[in-house]
Amino acid sequence: MFDPEKLIRKGRPKGHIKEVLIRSLLAGTTYLIVLIAVLLFTRIIVDGAPAILSPKFPFVDLEFLTAKNETLHVFDDAQGTRHQLAASAYSRYVAEHQGENLYNEQTFSYSGGGIAGPIVGTALLTIGSILLALFFGVSAAIYLAEYAKQSPFIHAVRLAILNLAGIPSIVFGLFGFSVFVLAVPVLTSDPSDRSLLVIPLMIGNYAISFQGWNSSLMAGCATLACMILPVIITASEESLRAVPQGFRDASLAMGGTRWQTIRKCVLPYSLPGILTSSLLAITRVAGETAPIMFTAAVAAKDDLPWEGLSNPFGILSSQVQALPYHIYTLAARIPSSEYTQRAQYGSVLVFLILVATLSIVSMVLRARIRRKLKW
Amino acid sequence: MKSITTILATAAMISMAGAQTLSIKGSDTLGAKLIPQLAEAFKAAGNKGVKFEIAAEGSTTAFPALANGTAQIGMSSRKVKDDERTFCKTKGVYIKEHPICHDMLVVIVNKNCPVSNLTKAQISKIFTGQIKDWSEIGGTPGKISIYTRNTSSGTYKDWQKLAMGGRDYPSTSLKMAGNEQIAQEVAKNKNGIGYVGLAYSKTPGTKALSIDGIQPVAQNAKTYAYSRLCYLYAPDKPTPEAAAFMEFIESSAGQAIVQKVGFIPN
Amino acid sequence: MPDDANRNVPKSHRFRKQGFSFERLIRYFFASNAGLTIVILVLIIVFLLKEGLGFFPGYRRELETYRIAGLEFVDISRKNLTAHEQLVSLLNRAYYAEINGRSYQQLRRSEEAAALFNAYTDQTGPTKELILNSTQEGQEAQPAMLAVLRENYEKQRAKALANLPATPHLSAKEREEIISALRTRTPQATDDPALVTRLAEELASTQARHAEPLQAFRATIDSFESASADLGSAIMEMTESVTSTKEALQNADILEKDRRTLLAAANNVDDPAEREKLLAEAKAALAEKPDTETPMASLMERKPDCIRLHEELAKSSAAILPQLPKSLAQGEADRLLRTAKKAWPVFLSDLSAAPAKISSWTHTTPVPLSAAVVSFLTGRDWITGGEWQDFYGILPLATGSLMIALVALTIAIPVGIGSAIYVNQFASPREQAIVKPVIEFIQAIPSVVLGFIGILVFGTVLRELSVMDSLQWVPGFPIEERLNIFTAGCLLALMSIPTIFSLAEDALNNVPSAYAEASEALGASGIQTTFRVIIPAAFSGILAAVLLGLGRVIGETMVVLLVAGNRIKIPDFSAGFGVFFQPSHTLTGIIAQELGEVPLGSVHYRALFVVGILLFVVVLGINATAHRFVNRATK
Repeated sequence: MFDPEKLIRKGRPKGHIKEVLIRSLLAGTTYLIVLIAVLLFTRIIVDGAPAILSPKFPFVDLEFLTAKNETLHVFDDAQGTRHQLAASAYSRYVAEHQGENLYNEQTFSYSGGGIAGPIVGTALLTIGSILLALFFGVSAAIYLAEYAKQSPFIHAVRLAILNLAGIPSIVFGLFGFSVFVLAVPVLTSDPSDRSLLVIPLMIGNYAISFQGWNSSLMAGCATLACMILPVIITASEESLRAVPQGFRDASLAMGGTRWQTIRKCVLPYSLPGILTSSLLAITRVAGETAPIMFTAAVAAKDDLPWEGLSNPFGILSSQVQALPYHIYTLAARIPSSEYTQRAQYGSVLVFLILVATLSIVSMVLRARIRRKLKW
Repeated sequence: MKSITTILATAAMISMAGAQTLSIKGSDTLGAKLIPQLAEAFKAAGNKGVKFEIAAEGSTTAFPALANGTAQIGMSSRKVKDDERTFCKTKGVYIKEHPICHDMLVVIVNKNCPVSNLTKAQISKIFTGQIKDWSEIGGTPGKISIYTRNTSSGTYKDWQKLAMGGRDYPSTSLKMAGNEQIAQEVAKNKNGIGYVGLAYSKTPGTKALSIDGIQPVAQNAKTYAYSRLCYLYAPDKPTPEAAAFMEFIESSAGQAIVQKVGFIPN
Repeated sequence: MPDDANRNVPKSHRFRKQGFSFERLIRYFFASNAGLTIVILVLIIVFLLKEGLGFFPGYRRELETYRIAGLEFVDISRKNLTAHEQLVSLLNRAYYAEINGRSYQQLRRSEEAAALFNAYTDQTGPTKELILNSTQEGQEAQPAMLAVLRENYEKQRAKALANLPATPHLSAKEREEIISALRTRTPQATDDPALVTRLAEELASTQARHAEPLQAFRATIDSFESASADLGSAIMEMTESVTSTKEALQNADILEKDRRTLLAAANNVDDPAEREKLLAEAKAALAEKPDTETPMASLMERKPDCIRLHEELAKSSAAILPQLPKSLAQGEADRLLRTAKKAWPVFLSDLSAAPAKISSWTHTTPVPLSAAVVSFLTGRDWITGGEWQDFYGILPLATGSLMIALVALTIAIPVGIGSAIYVNQFASPREQAIVKPVIEFIQAIPSVVLGFIGILVFGTVLRELSVMDSLQWVPGFPIEERLNIFTAGCLLALMSIPTIFSLAEDALNNVPSAYAEASEALGASGIQTTFRVIIPAAFSGILAAVLLGLGRVIGETMVVLLVAGNRIKIPDFSAGFGVFFQPSHTLTGIIAQELGEVPLGSVHYRALFVVGILLFVVVLGINATAHRFVNRATK
C-alpha cells in the first residue's frame, strides 16, 4: 500500500538541535551588544543624573548648564560642615566670613560651576562647520548629480571623496594645524615672521600674509568642515538623485533653464533629505576631539566667546572650549573623586544626551521622509 | 574657485580683529591649579575686563607661543634654555623672567606601600630602571611601575637633571599628561611611584616619601633635595593686562594664594 | 543638454546670450565646488609632505651630531653598563624573592594589619585634622564646636570600621585586637597600634633570619655590583665632555639659522640704517665653528682605558658566574636566578665584543640619509625631549597600534558579523526594530566618551577582576597597569562593531533573494541556506566590512590616547598572552599627545608629520582594498 503520510518527515528534522544552537549563539552575540550598550548608558545616567537633575522644578540643574567653568573649592568651616563652592562663590564666601578659619581645603580644577563655555563652544564649532560644509557640499553634490557626465574630472572628484572619507581624524588635525592654523592668508599690517608668503597691497601698510589664523574658532570650523564634506556630498547626492527624473524633464520641457529646474524643481524636494542626513554629520562633528585639539580648543577659558570683544568678528579668531575636549581634560587632567564626579559624569551625560537627541531626531526624520516621499 | 578666494579674503579681513585676552601657556604644574586660581582671584579683585585663556600642556609650549605672539605670558617650571631664548629673539620677542614661587618635586607612592623614606641614590636607581622591584628597597614584592610626566614638561626635564643624573627614563615608564594624572594612577596602583609638584602631593590614596630623611614640606624647602623655582616669562614690554596680572601675583594677596594652593611663596 | 537645445537660436539673440553666460557661470560655480574635494585632498598631501619631508635631513643632522660629538662612542660602553645593571637587578630580585618567599606568612600578616590601619586613617583623616586644628590653635576652643567635631569624627570612625578590608592571614583574635585598638584610638594618637608594630617587627626578624643562610649570595651580588664602578665613573666623565660638545654644536646650528633669518630680514628692509643694524646683528651672530676635534681627540685617548675597563669587567663577571648558587628554593627566586644565568653568556660575549667596537669607532664615518630613514622605520626607541639624545623609531608605536587593532578585531569580527547574520537572517522585524537603532546609536557615541568610560570605569573594573583569586588562571593576571592594550582594544571593539555590523548587513542584504529561494526549494534548512549560500555570496562584502572596521580602529585617536597607557616600548612578547595586558603607545596617540607641545619646525615636529603620513598611507591602503572588495561584491 502506498502511504503518502510516509513521505512526510515527522518530528524534528535532522540537525535541529544544531540549528537551534547556532541560532541562539548568534542571538546571544547580538543581545550582548545591546546589553553592553544599555549597561554603559545606565552607568553614565546613574552617575551623571545627580549633576544635572534637581529635586525642584524644572527638575534640571540649570546652573550646571548655564554657569561658567571654574575651580571647585572644597573645605570645612569651623563647625565641621563641608562646603563645595565654585571659585566665584568661594571668594564671596571668604569675603562674607572674614577672619574665620577654613580647614581641609582642597581645590579641583575645572570641576566647579557649570559647562556653559564648552556647550557654547561646541555649538559654535558645529554650526560654523556645518554651514560651511553644507554650502560647499550641496553645491558639489548638485554638480555631481545634475551636471556631471563621465569625465576624468568627475572620476577624480569621486576618488577624492572616497579617500577623504577614510582619512583618520587625527590626520585632519595635522592638516588643519598646518594649513588653517599656520598657512592660510590673512590681511594684516604686521606680517609674522613665520609667514610663508607676503604679498604687499598698495593700500596703507596692509599686506596679505600667508601666516594662518592661529588656533581659533575659524580654523576649527574649517578643519571640521573639510572632514565632513564627503559625508555631506554623498548624502546630498543621494537625495538629489532620489528626485524623479520626470520633474526635471517636465521643467525643461516648459522652457526652464537648467538652473531654474534645479532651483525650483529639484532642490525643494531633496532639501528635507539633505538636512536630515546633515544631522548625522552634526553628531559626528560635535563628537570629534582630535581635529580641534590643535586648531580651536582650549582647556580653560573663563569667559564665553563673545564676552569682552572689541568687535563682533573677534569671536571667529578666539579660541573656544569644546565639550569633547573638556571631557578629555576632565578624564585626563583631574583626579576622580566624589567632588569631581559631578563635573565628569555630568558633562558626559549632557554630551551624550545632546548626541543621542540629534541622532534620534535624524533617525525619526529619515524614516518619515522615506514614508512620505514616494514617487 | 572664486568663491573660495572670496571666503578666504573675508576670513582674512575678520582675523585682523584682536580681542584683549590674556593668553597664558606653558607648564602644567603651574597652569593646572595655581594660575587659574590666581586668575579667578585677580578677577574677583576688580579686574573684570580681562579675559583669560589658559593652556597647560607643558613648559616647552610656553616659548614658541611667546615667540609667535599667541601667548602674552608663558609659564615654566624650569629656566628658559638658551636656544629657546634665542628663538624668541629671532622673532623679535625679548623675554623677561619672573620667578613667582618655589616648588618641590615630591616622590609619591601608594598609601599601602610600606616604604616611607628613600635615599637619593635609590631614587635615581628606581627612575633609571636599575631597581625594578619593591623588594629591593624593602617594600612588598612587586614590580615597580614608574609614572612620569610627558616629554614637553619642565618637570620631566627637571627631574632628569635633579634626580637621575641626566640619564634617560627607562622605556617601561608611563607618560602622563599631568601631575593630577600621576597622582591618580599611583593612588590606584599599589606598586606605583611617581613625582609631582608639592601642590599635588596630598592626593588621597598616595603617600609622600621623605628623601634622605627630609620630609617634603614647605619648611624644608632649603634642605630638600628636589627643590626648584617656577617662573613666568613675558616679553620685556608686556601688555597692560599681563603687567597688572604679574604685579598681582607678586603682591601679598597673590603670594597668599600661592601658599594656599601648595607652592612655596618667594 | 542646454547648449545643444539652444542650437537653433541665432547667435546674437538676447535669450541665448543671457542663458549662455549665466548658465555657464552657475555650472562653473558648481564644478569648482566639486573640485574643492580634490583641492582639499591635494592640500592634505602637500602639507603633510611639506612638513614631513624635512624630517629626514633634520634627523640625519641630529644623528650626525650624535656621532661627531661622540655620544655614540659613549653609548657603546653605556649599553654594557646598562646590561650589567640589569643583571645586578635580576640577582637582587632573586635574593629578595628568596627571603620574602620564605617569610611569606609574616609578610602577608604585616601587610594586612597595615592595610587595616591605613583604611582607618584614610577615612578618619580629615575629621581628625579638624579636631587637631581647633584644639591646637585653641585660643577659644569652644566646647560646643568641639563636640560637633568629635561627633563627626565618631561618625567617620564608625564608617571606617564598617568597611575594613578582609584579612585572611590574620586570626580572628588578632583582627579583633587591631579593631579594638582603633575603636578606642584618640585623634591625638600618633603611634601605630601595638599589633601593627609587633607584626612589622616580626616580619623584620624573620627576614633577617632567612637572610642569614644567603649571606654568601649577598656578598657575590655586592662584589658583582661594585665591579662596574670604574666603568661607571669613566662613562660619567665622558658624558660630561660629549654633552658640552653637543650643546656647542646645537647652539652653532641655531645661531647659523638666526643669522640667515636676520640676513633675510635685512634684504627685505628698504631703510639703509635699519639694514645696517640687522646686518651688524647678523655678523655678530656669525658663530665660529665649534671645535669638535680637541674634545674628540681627548675622547679618543680614552679608548685604551675603556677597553681595559671592559676587559676587567668581563674577567670579574666571568669569575662571578660559578659563585652563584645552583638553585634557589623559592619558585620565583629560582626563575629570576635562571634568567640571570641565561643572560650571562650574552652579556659576556657583548663585553668581549666591545673592545673591537671601541677601537674601530671613528667620528668621521659619514651618516647617510638612508641611515635616518632606516633608523626611523626600524628604530626600537622613541625618545624625545631627553637630556641625552632624541631617537625617533616608529616600531614601538606601530606595534602598539597593531596589537590594539588585533584585540579589537578579535572581539569585533565575530560579534559584529554574528549579529549582522542574526539580524539579517533570523530576527523578527520587531527584533530588528530594537537592535538596529541600538547599534546605530553606539556608532554615534563620541570616542572621547568611550575613552572617558575606559579610564574611569572599565580600567578599574578590569584591575579588580584581575586580582580575584578565581581568575588567576588567565595569562597576564593580575595586571600591572589598568590602562593597557586589552582595555583599549575592548573599547575600540565597541567602536568598530557598528561599522562592521552595518556594512556586513548591507552585504547580506545585497545577495539576490533568488539565491535563498533556490536553496530553500532544494530542501535546505535555514541554517544551511545562510551558511552555505548567502554568506559565501556575500563574502567579499563582509571582508570589506572587516577591512573598513580595521581602518577605523587604526585611525582612532581619543580612546587610545586616554586608555592605552602611553608606554613607548615594544611590549614584552615573552609574557605569552600576558603581553595584551601591557600598556603601549600608538601612532595616533603620539601625534595627539605631542603635537601641541613641540616647537614649530623642529625635528620632533616633523617626525610627528611623518607619523601622520604613515597613518594616512596605511589607512588609505586599507580602505582602497576594502572598496575593491565592495566593487567586486556589487558586480
